[in-house]
Amino acid sequence: MSTRRIAANVGAASAAIVGAVVTVVGAALAAIPFSPAVAQDAPFPIAAWSRTTAAAEDAGAPAERGAAVFNNWCSACHSRGPLNAPGTTSLQNKYQGALPAALEDRTDLTAEVIELYVRNGIATMPFFRKTEISDADLAALAAYLVE
Amino acid sequence: MPNPPPGLSQRDFNTALGRIEEVVGREWVFKSDADVALYRDAYSPLWGESEERFASAAVAPISVEEIRAVVRIANEYRLPLYPISTGRNLTYGGSAPVYSGSVVLDLKRMNRILDVNERDKTCLVEPGVSYFDMYRHLRTNNIRLWIDTADPGWGGLIGNALDRGGGYTGIDYRDHFDAHCGMEVVLANGDLVRLGMGASPQAKTWQLFKYGLGPWLDGIFSQSNFGIVTKMGFWLMEEPEAALQVSVTVPKRRDVVPLLDGLHSLMCAHTIPSQTTVASPIMNGSADPELVRLRTSGGTASDADWDRYTAAQGRPFWSSAFIYYGAQKVIAAQWEHTKDRLASIAGVQFRETASYTFPLSDGQAEAVPDKPRLGIPSLNLFSSRNAPGAQPSEGHLDFSPMIPPRGEELIALADTTGKIYGDLGLIPTFVGGLMFHPRTMICFHAVPTYRNAADNQRTRRLFETLVRTCTDRGWPIYRIHAHFQALGMQMFGFNDGALHRLHETLKDAIDPNGVVSPGRYSIWPKHLRGRA
Repeated sequence: MSTRRIAANVGAASAAIVGAVVTVVGAALAAIPFSPAVAQDAPFPIAAWSRTTAAAEDAGAPAERGAAVFNNWCSACHSRGPLNAPGTTSLQNKYQGALPAALEDRTDLTAEVIELYVRNGIATMPFFRKTEISDADLAALAAYLVE
Repeated sequence: MPNPPPGLSQRDFNTALGRIEEVVGREWVFKSDADVALYRDAYSPLWGESEERFASAAVAPISVEEIRAVVRIANEYRLPLYPISTGRNLTYGGSAPVYSGSVVLDLKRMNRILDVNERDKTCLVEPGVSYFDMYRHLRTNNIRLWIDTADPGWGGLIGNALDRGGGYTGIDYRDHFDAHCGMEVVLANGDLVRLGMGASPQAKTWQLFKYGLGPWLDGIFSQSNFGIVTKMGFWLMEEPEAALQVSVTVPKRRDVVPLLDGLHSLMCAHTIPSQTTVASPIMNGSADPELVRLRTSGGTASDADWDRYTAAQGRPFWSSAFIYYGAQKVIAAQWEHTKDRLASIAGVQFRETASYTFPLSDGQAEAVPDKPRLGIPSLNLFSSRNAPGAQPSEGHLDFSPMIPPRGEELIALADTTGKIYGDLGLIPTFVGGLMFHPRTMICFHAVPTYRNAADNQRTRRLFETLVRTCTDRGWPIYRIHAHFQALGMQMFGFNDGALHRLHETLKDAIDPNGVVSPGRYSIWPKHLRGRA
């Protein structure tokens, strides 16, 4: 098996492999199911994280800066999912479809509500200090999520 | 103006904060109730009670020189400081001080990645650098080195290492304190030291050779209050050619004895390179009354009782997860040898759960389901909160006893702690242990915390009973929440607390005014002993 054939096996492919039970001791090495890459490029967070820098948070239009803040601090829990979205799943359970579970899909958020949760937390989500999300960052985040 | 720490007059406190403002800028001294409240322990087991630990103010310097100036001022007024790095040591105390009234020294703004050396496979960072920051930096710059991240991954390299946390990848990386190489510390008197080879200013090996010359002192700056660490070097893992994540399941409860013996041997031989998790799909998350009865029986339920119950569930009792990193041919041989070693356990099943070659594209990395095993920080651990039957709480503490990696001990621990939960009318939370150290298993129990006193009182009783009982059984903890650190150190009381006396002897020598984190890990300066 060439190195080239061992490719990232993620997403749907891994679910298939989870089901593969190998009980044959001494099976040929080639039996190990390294699978070809099948993953689609996910829409967002890690690529966005990689672009997120302090400079990005300090510059640009409010909504653009707010997007950087969201990617930096919020998206690991509140991405659109299904991965990296324990917060989104939690909101799905809470609202049962009455409101969008992903914060970026909400149209009812206000700056006051966003500040309330960032500075007070909710359930397992802790609050954020001003050395993490400054007041200016918070305003930008609100501009991004409210627009 | 906020209230001063105990023993400090309002006038002196105001003067000290005013002088600190001149050092760091007014913007970076937080004094309002709303701002200081952000330094509460979000998962506090004392939330809203009179004994909850509060800061009096917070100060956020941007440089080593600012820290040194603040420390000198603190010494003049005997002002207690409580340094935090990213402040995300949630479940162990968060950003709240041990000693109420301390001024939190928030180092989050010091978030520079000072160096990443791809050839040496090392980095040097400041305290505010989070796992996410470092991961993004490596990806953005196409540096094919991995971090080892805590899980959840919202903390930082320095803070987690100093509290001796751990992760998932190779043996040289997942014990985060062990993975450090070189540090810089502002001492309590404002002096600045570099440890290891860093003390030799021209040395090219600060992040490569740990010891330097003379006594090796790095250890005293972990789980302690002897100084403020301002830089740390770490060894990073070279991105492997490939990785294969696997699971090994065994059907019966008692099968964990040969399973752990085998896994331990394979880890000691470095056949299995990664952290190894051994957890029970049977015990995980169910409130089934029969299961709760078995789990809280205190060990009176027989193996036959457990086997009957397990057989009816159609799931194995234990599932072990680990991962191989390296060249694919080597991985294949390691996996084959692993299967050979464990094949004699009746009913054992071997599964490959995911395979990878590297580098991953952004999309592929994003879609990795078990990110920390590939050094990718994640908060997905919180998904457990959304599982069917989960018992939501506002937060939790980690109770983290250490056992030898022997199945008999794991079963005994599950029986012992299960009964403690049951006696308090709670469903046991323990589902298994993990080995981020090579020769011990940490058996994390999530102990829920709430935003109400009644439930938290029960939590505190549970936690203290777990600590004391497990210590009596030979399973003391490796790390403990700030509120329980005095209790924790009592559990290390050989020779009438000789170790604790030594800690405080050091404190008197290195921080006579007690300005750095008084009370952390129960180390108090002389003037506060017996009073705080």
